[in-house]
Amino acid sequence: MNERPAIETIRLTGELEVGRKQEIRDAFALRDGARAVLVDLSEVTYADSTALTELLRFCMTAQREAVPIAVVIRTRQFARLVQYAGLASVFKIFEDPGEAFAYLSDCVNA
Amino acid sequence: MNGCSELRLLQEAHSRCVAPSRHALRAFCEALGFGADALDDITTAVGEALANVVEHAYADDCDQRRSFELHARFDNGDLALEVADTGTFRHCVPRPYRGFGLRIIRAIAQQMTLDTDGGTRVRMRFTAKTPKS
Repeated sequence: MNERPAIETIRLTGELEVGRKQEIRDAFALRDGARAVLVDLSEVTYADSTALTELLRFCMTAQREAVPIAVVIRTRQFARLVQYAGLASVFKIFEDPGEAFAYLSDCVNA
Repeated sequence: MNGCSELRLLQEAHSRCVAPSRHALRAFCEALGFGADALDDITTAVGEALANVVEHAYADDCDQRRSFELHARFDNGDLALEVADTGTFRHCVPRPYRGFGLRIIRAIAQQMTLDTDGGTRVRMRFTAKTPKS
């Protein structure tokens, strides 16, 4: 039997910008039955509002479905982008993937 | 950083042209001695302006020559940037999840003006120290 992991991971790397809009949108799809999602953007080297828009759309959908989301952002440019857009309090952001995973584990096991 | 330096790029208004333009601007500013945070902020602001061009400026008219011009002029510690297109400015209709581009530019640039008469020109200003900090 192929059991699904309790915490699913979406991982994107490199430059998340307007030229990759469709790829970003496709990646941020909430799968049926997901219990928690780790959005690992720790290896993103640059992001623009295209990525931010898709991330926000994804997180709002997950919130409606009561699926906890943790977002890992390590790049200063990306972190500053989130601040400039006024979205810092909208996402649950971590610098350390391990801490993000621990947070989601607590959510799933609560 | 004294004297005057300029960078002028004319590109097709296509998403594949955004990243190379942004990289060229970053290299230009890096050579002028801007620090890491300033480089991030400058390229973020210009990246948003360029994304707006390729996403919106020519959306209503397929016959127009789709292009943008990125002009950077550094003069005695002052960096003036302009992103210009000949398309149509789309006034922001409040929609969920949209409209971050200009908000981000306004938050970053020390000065920002938007001219929508006969195309769109976004002008931004930064100093050689750190943008808006």
